[in-house]
This record gives sequence, C-alpha cells and structure tokens, in this order.
Amino acid sequence: MKLALPCFVVAVLLALVLGRFGVARLPQVVQGDDALSVAFGDAKSTISAAMVHKADSYFHGGIDMECKEHHNHHDDHDHHDHHDHHDDHDHDHAPNPPIPQSSNPPIPQSHTFDPWGWINQHVRAPEKHVHLEGAKSVELMPWFWASVKADPHNIDAWTTAWYTANTMLKDQALARRILDEAKAKNPDSLEIAWTEARFVYQGGKGDVAAATRLLEEARRMGKRKCGGRLSELAPHEAEAFCNILGYLSKILYDQGEKDRIRPLFDEARATGADTPVVGEIEARLR
Amino acid sequence: MKMFIRQLKSLVRLSFVELWRRNDIFALLILALALLVPLSMASPFGASGASRYLDEVALLLIWGFSLFIALGTGARLFPPEFESRTIYPLLSKPISRGALLVGKYLGAVAASWSALALFYLLFVGCALLRGGALSVELVQGFVFHAAFVAFAVAVALVGSLLVTPSANLTLSATALTAMFFFGRRLPDYAETVSAPLSWLVKVAYAIGPHVEFFDMRQRLIHGWGGVDAVVMVAVLAYGAVYTGACLAVAGLLLKRKRV
Repeated sequence: MKLALPCFVVAVLLALVLGRFGVARLPQVVQGDDALSVAFGDAKSTISAAMVHKADSYFHGGIDMECKEHHNHHDDHDHHDHHDHHDDHDHDHAPNPPIPQSSNPPIPQSHTFDPWGWINQHVRAPEKHVHLEGAKSVELMPWFWASVKADPHNIDAWTTAWYTANTMLKDQALARRILDEAKAKNPDSLEIAWTEARFVYQGGKGDVAAATRLLEEARRMGKRKCGGRLSELAPHEAEAFCNILGYLSKILYDQGEKDRIRPLFDEARATGADTPVVGEIEARLR
Repeated sequence: MKMFIRQLKSLVRLSFVELWRRNDIFALLILALALLVPLSMASPFGASGASRYLDEVALLLIWGFSLFIALGTGARLFPPEFESRTIYPLLSKPISRGALLVGKYLGAVAASWSALALFYLLFVGCALLRGGALSVELVQGFVFHAAFVAFAVAVALVGSLLVTPSANLTLSATALTAMFFFGRRLPDYAETVSAPLSWLVKVAYAIGPHVEFFDMRQRLIHGWGGVDAVVMVAVLAYGAVYTGACLAVAGLLLKRKRV
C-alpha cells in the first residue's frame, strides 16, 4: 500500500515520457488525438453510424425504421417515403445525403397469432407516424454531434446535420458553423465541398457566382485526387463529383451557356458512376 | 392471519432498511449527476433547445440503475443468511419458509420501489424545470417500471437459490438485458438461423422473461401518449404471472433446501 503512490507517480511519468518520444507512432497504437480514439479505435465508426441511426429514429418520432421494415406496425407508411421527404424540401432537387439503412431483406412473417408480438406492437409503436419538422428538428442535432465526435470523418453525419440546420431549422448561422467544422475536419472531401456549394447556392436563391466558384474548385479537387483519371475515383467520390458537375451544368443551363455543358457530361461519364445525375446532365445538352 | 401480517411487516422493514443502509442508491445518484449535468450543459454545434436526448439518457440510466438495485437486492435475500448462518435463528422463530420468502421478497420489492420512486421524482423534477408537464404515459411508465422491478427481484431470488451469487447476478443481468434490448427481435432472428438454433431461439422467445414489455421509454421521450387499458392489463398480468411463477419455484427450492 505504501508503494502505491510512488508507483502511480512513476507510471504517470513513464506514460508522459513515452508519449512524447513517439509511442503514438508505433503501428499497434490506435492513432488519434482524443480519449475516444484511444478507447474505441475502429469501433468509433460503428458508434458514429449508430448515432446517425438514432437521429433517423428521432426524425421518425422515435420509430426504429429498421425494425419497422420487418414488423409493419400500426400504420402503413412506406419507409422510403420518409427519406425522400428530405428531398421534397430541397428546392434544387439535389439528392440528399442518405441515412444508412439496413440491407437485410424483409423477413416473411408467420401467420400464427403471437401474443408477445401483439404486446410489443402495442407498447412500442405509436398510433400515428409523425416526423420532426421545423424547430423541433433541433432534437436531431445532439445525435449528429455525438456521431461526428465519435468519427469526424462520417461525412453522412456532417451533411445530414447541415441539411437539418439549413433546410429544416432554417438556421443558416448554425448550418455555416457545421460546414466550417466539417471542412476543417475533412478538407479533401468532395461531398463536403459539394455541400458547401449547395449552401451558397440555396436552390438558386443564393450567391450563384460564389457557388460556381466553389463548384469549380471542388471539380479541380476531384480531378487532383485521382490525377485526372476520373474512373479511379472511389464510388462515393465519383457520385459526389457527378453531383458537383450536375450543379455546374444546371447553373450553366440557367445562364444559357449550353456549349460549356459538354465537357461536364464527358467528365461525369468518365467517372463510371451509377447515378441519375449523368442522365440529367445529358438532358441539359439537348 | 394477524401474526402472518406482523411477520411480513418486520421482514419488509428489514429488507428496506438494509438497502438504504448500503448507500448504493446514493452512489448511483452521484454517478447519474456526474453524467447528466455535463450533458445538460452541452449545446451541440452551438444549437440550443434539444431536450429529448437528455430524457433518453436519464431514462436509460434509471433503467440500468433500477435493474442493478433490483438484482442486487433480490440476489442478496438468502445467500448471506445461509453463509452467516443467521437462517437458523430466523427459522427457529414461528414462521414458515413460505412466509419468510414472501416477506423478504416484498421487502426487497418495497426497497427497490422506493429507490425507483426517488429516481423518477428527480427525473420528473428536471423535466418540469425544463418546461415539461406530467402526462398519462409518465404514470403508466412508472407503473410498468415498478412491475419490471418486482419481476427482476423475483428472477434474482430464484437464481439465488439455484446458483452462486456471482453466477446468479451474471446470468440474471445477461438474460434480462438481452431480452430488454433484443426480446422483440427474436422471431426475426429465429427465421434467419438454421434448425436447431432456430428452435432454441423460439423456445427462448416463448418462455424467456419479456421485460421489454415494460419499456415505455420511447413513449415518454417522444410523447406518443399512453397505451390502451387492455394492453396495460395484459402487460401487468404477464408480469404478475411470471413473477408468481418465479416465486412458486423459489418457494419449492427453499422448501427442499437443506439447512
């Protein structure tokens, strides 16, 4: 017992000295600059995704949509309608960052009466399916915040938090703060760059010239990332790159500069991305 | 009958005093405050006005703490009496083993309910301070939670007469927590696994302790409103039957136990 305090002091000193002289650079040490990184390591991204899932459940008034897909409780809303709902509010009809969903196929339900299932359905499902809208959407923010704290590279969490602030809460100062933080943590993310351009563009009601500048910058960043070989972009980056080109093409189309859309279409096609945006750009050529 | 009630009263008082003397509840309260106070001060991205996440965390803590207290109290009803041999003077008194079991069980439940009431009082106080209001679902939630506590004490009591205290706590906590979080998904899971495991899962679903029935957290947090009277009766009846079955098994085990 008498040795406990000296041992503790020595341990703390040792930890400080080793930390200063590069233990953090050893391959077996989890990289990161915060306690969460050290404690959870790779589990952070799972925790982060779970937080986004929680935010999704809050958006649906507390219903776990993944579970609902299997059980089809009191109401007969189509699950996917709710995520399209985000887009309905987006005047520029840009695809909204998806909230990750379960890829499990629906499981056929038994036809025998299940009393436990009946109780669960009635205790754990609301009679009415509601969505958080307007000022109430602020309830989603703590979960997005927790998500990006757990994994600052969870782009879905950043962009959905931005969408919530910008479109649902209509709090542009909050949306700007989120974007700035997202950019600081992910300076080379095409999705974040595209989101910033959308923010400035505001469905055509914002600063179109500034949005064009940001989109051109993002376009250059995309090309730089793959050394000009667009087909080598990662799938999510290719999709973001196409979205950037789609926005640029829309602005050019609105300005009557159809001639400048052709190279955008060629680049979008070169990515090989499976996204309807390529078709939309092509339509603007005609 | 008068004698029986007097015996029960003294046993209940004993269990009650024991829980509050152990100071577990105060330790849990300090832990809850240490978690909730910083959380309540957080303003995610500088946005203010969100409160449901606080209710969510507070209710999760209340559920965790109430399970901890219920299992601890239920599991400690008999083993210490056997270990310290205080069961002999107890049984030498004019009291049947059945009355001893029921008295001790009721004492443990009363003590756990008092802790639960304190937790809910603090929860409601905080909610009222934030501008919330009392609701039907809050009362129902408390009643369901109280039924859950009585249920958990009974499960721990049976376990305490079957296995060692540490094994009992581990098994009871695992079973109740697993059912709480995954109980309602067991039928889906049974459909995705092959035959022998699928049968096991189906049996677990049929006879396992469905503590998830008592979970009204989502209704409270998102203001869904209360459950129908029929559902409430069904849940409470399920709890009463399961708890009664556990007590009956515990009574049999205690009767057969050699002291």
